[in-house]
Amino acid sequence: MRKLLLTITAVAILSTLSIAQNRTLPSVDVKTLNGGSMNITAIENDGNPIVISFWATWCKPCKKELNTIAEVYEDWQDETGVKLIALSIDDTRTMTKVAPYVNASDWDYEVYLDPNGDLKRAMGVSTVPHTFLLNSKKEIVWQHKGYVDGDENELLEQIEKIAK
Amino acid sequence: MIKKISLTLTIACLTIICFAQENSGEFHGDFDLNMQSYQEDKLIEAEPVDEIILNNAYLNINYTQGNFAAGLRYESYLNALLDFDDDYKGNGIPFRYATYTIDGLEVTAGNYYEQIGSGLIFRSYENKGLGIDNAMDGVRLKYIPVKGIYLKTFIGKNRTYFTYSDGIIRGADAEVNLNESLNFESKTKIIVGQGFVSRFQADNNPKFKLPQNIAAYSSRLNIINGGWNYSGEYAIKLNDPIGSLTAEGNNYANGNALMSSLAYSQRGFGIIAEMHRVDHMEFRSERAQEKQYIINYIPTLTKQHTYTLLALYPCATQSEGEFGTQVDVFYKIKKGSVLGGKYGTKISFNFSNIRSLEKGVKYDTNKNEIEEISSSFKNDYTDFTPKFFSKNGELFFNDINLEIYKKINKKMKATGILARQSYNKDVLEGKTPGTYGTVNSTIAIADVSYKIKEGHTVRVELQELLADGGDGSWSMGLVEYTISPHWFFAVQDMYNWGNHDVEKQLHYVNINCGFLKGANRIAIGYGKKRAGIFCVGGVCKEVPSANGFSLTISSSF
Amino acid sequence: MKNIITLFSFILIITSCDVVEGPYLIDNGGITPVDTSSNTYVKKVLIEDFTGHTCPNCPAAAKELEAIHDVYGDQIIGMALHVSTGFAAPQTGSGKFEYDFRTEWGTEWDDFFDISNAGLPRGMVNRTGYPDEHKLGKNEWLAAVITELEKEIDFGISITSEMNEDEGNITINTELLNDVIGDYNLVACLTESHIINWQKDGQIENAFYEHNHVLRSVLIDKNLSTSSSYSSGDEIIEPIIINLTTLEQYNIDYSVNTAINGSGNAGGWNAENMSVIAYIYDNTTKEIVQVEEAHLNE
Repeated sequence: MRKLLLTITAVAILSTLSIAQNRTLPSVDVKTLNGGSMNITAIENDGNPIVISFWATWCKPCKKELNTIAEVYEDWQDETGVKLIALSIDDTRTMTKVAPYVNASDWDYEVYLDPNGDLKRAMGVSTVPHTFLLNSKKEIVWQHKGYVDGDENELLEQIEKIAK
Repeated sequence: MIKKISLTLTIACLTIICFAQENSGEFHGDFDLNMQSYQEDKLIEAEPVDEIILNNAYLNINYTQGNFAAGLRYESYLNALLDFDDDYKGNGIPFRYATYTIDGLEVTAGNYYEQIGSGLIFRSYENKGLGIDNAMDGVRLKYIPVKGIYLKTFIGKNRTYFTYSDGIIRGADAEVNLNESLNFESKTKIIVGQGFVSRFQADNNPKFKLPQNIAAYSSRLNIINGGWNYSGEYAIKLNDPIGSLTAEGNNYANGNALMSSLAYSQRGFGIIAEMHRVDHMEFRSERAQEKQYIINYIPTLTKQHTYTLLALYPCATQSEGEFGTQVDVFYKIKKGSVLGGKYGTKISFNFSNIRSLEKGVKYDTNKNEIEEISSSFKNDYTDFTPKFFSKNGELFFNDINLEIYKKINKKMKATGILARQSYNKDVLEGKTPGTYGTVNSTIAIADVSYKIKEGHTVRVELQELLADGGDGSWSMGLVEYTISPHWFFAVQDMYNWGNHDVEKQLHYVNINCGFLKGANRIAIGYGKKRAGIFCVGGVCKEVPSANGFSLTISSSF
Repeated sequence: MKNIITLFSFILIITSCDVVEGPYLIDNGGITPVDTSSNTYVKKVLIEDFTGHTCPNCPAAAKELEAIHDVYGDQIIGMALHVSTGFAAPQTGSGKFEYDFRTEWGTEWDDFFDISNAGLPRGMVNRTGYPDEHKLGKNEWLAAVITELEKEIDFGISITSEMNEDEGNITINTELLNDVIGDYNLVACLTESHIINWQKDGQIENAFYEHNHVLRSVLIDKNLSTSSSYSSGDEIIEPIIINLTTLEQYNIDYSVNTAINGSGNAGGWNAENMSVIAYIYDNTTKEIVQVEEAHLNE
């Protein structure tokens, strides 16, 4: 058991070393609202920043975050060229409500589904909301857990930092 | 022993790969810690624990390098929080895997999570909040022969706590996206899927014939045309008796489930109507085992509420038999209209109704009636199949709720909710019929947030639940102060002023504060938790009351 | 190639299923219960059924126990222990469920083996699997019984008893069948069957339920001997003198003074329906290695 723990510690230390380099997206399939499948590494924004926001229809702060950003999304896009991907972790209980909710909310985001948490686990998301910011090479340069009013400003600052 | 060896091998591989390809591989993961102290509180019947403090912790490590990925999860329960089954005990690495993808073929060995369709016949998943983790241990192949056709097969054993079930689970699934595979452009998109799962467990019963390979099939269809979206799934589970030696114990009937939903949406408007009918569909990884061994998932057909008093009496699927319907409407009143105001108004309406199937009678060896049943049952003396629509269905759950969200001005946002719920406490909490009956409640909620200055927001929640049955009426108030981007503080009080037992008219006060920075979140709290039913995703468990401090750390890298 | 691999495994998997047609009963499956009346010792199995008179699902477990007994005969010995406040406390004054079936020892074992916390009905089969896998649901008993019955025995137990009114002499005779080293305890207890009293049975509240093998008293629970090494052929004789009135009063006092919500309504014993159960367990693993049952006064 002690050996095991040592090994884990070693692995953990190594891992901290390797996070010095930028992190890319894991190769995991997600579902599209059209019933298709897509590998998350295939998302594109012509070299502009990408925001991936994990959310669920049953998560109040998630919806608050995405609704707040929706009001200023056009401005953000004009200013920085950013694209927001709303990644729903709704399971099959609430998954069917995602498309109607998104449409009714008038969101212009790209929306994908991760009904059994495969991408969520691969990206180390334990609670929602959890937001990742990707640079032009689709490397994760910043992430943030949770949402309280005003957090969108910090996100915008981070986007502005890396926007061309 | 074998487990230990394979573990060590996984770690060794991880380490070697890391050294060998230092520049191209990546490590990442996340860490969670939940610690709670338990003090005695006679009023709320909270029991102290001998350990004073209980603790759950998890560390996930994933390594990826091109098409290869491997990882493990270390879990530590010293000892497990009272919300968890105490079979979660000690430390271990119950989850480790390696996977690679080449030319459309993905091979996974070790642990994995998998789901077929909606999960009616198989779902292996984790939910830390509920202490559910029925991960598979085995191998899985996924293959995309041509664009639009997705095949997968897997074999393995399901995890329960720190052990693996006796039953061997084999599964296969094929999904065909007709548009993609036949390569035609059309406004109508059609996706069909067919899944299969089989469990092997040897027949050890000297008295009754038992099937050793239990099969379950499901077929699904999804049609999308513009704003319209239909999806349906039908599943059958073949004879799966529990292997009892008693005359009435074994049920050889086939189970089945049907779910169907139709949605329409356009900008600013969405509607979705759903139904499901479930009959004898509980599927476990071992025939003689209990709920902790369930390996399928029947989505609950009610709204997943987040406000405390709306979720006080939550619904859980009765996978042995129920008929449910649900309608959701989302509507955004346009900006600038009379009702919409400057920013628009969002309205969502939800209705759900869950009932039992038709009731029948179970007979003993002498053809005497012994029990009322409400799902398919078949043995040497009884053969009952409920009709598709039942006339005498008993109400399990009913919920009508309306939510209005409005941004009033630049500084103020408000949400108002009205709901009426009926909750069959006996059925949904597994009590003897007639113990509590049905709790009817009326709930009103107001949630207002106000921006004091840039980054500083105060939010107030007022909730009221009026009910005669159950614990009677409740009030709840919450004040939350958040300072973006780092801090939050919250105080809440739940007051059970309407409890019929005057001594139980208690306040449950909680204080929480937390600090967030990037990918780290730390929160501490102090307060009383009421005993109750706690549900996520329609799966519920009873949690005991508690009084004490809590510490939560969540971090990812 | 990959096509073939995937398709092949696909087809293999979807052909694996059995459909069983009725009649499902196969006359005890050809098992002839071992003749336990002969002079040779046979392996016996104790099923301790933790139950409660207001536990609606518990009669199903009692039925399962009887059904296992029907198949394997007297190799199966049952014991019902009414435990927990929630399911076994008497509902004094309600006219129903007023009897207190609980005992000091039942409560003690329930705490030690942590049974009722996991929900009733639940039981132990020869107490195997302790400390992690000993709490078995009723449907798991059969598999555990089959495993247990295959085990060899090192001890043979025989019980004789002689009653004179309330007074009695019981003798537990243990014979070593092999050389054994270990720390063993001997337990002797009294159970009573055919007690007609209230029981919640599913949706029904049955006033005339027949309670069987109900634990009444534990007479001894002590080291089998002072030595930890035994040779084949050794005999250990344990004489016990009992007084049923005293034992009955002990339970009444326990109910009044110690048990939560107890009422003292724990008497009315009927010696005619009582049995002596004696078993030997390994003090390290807690596993019961042999058990025997005999009617009182036989």
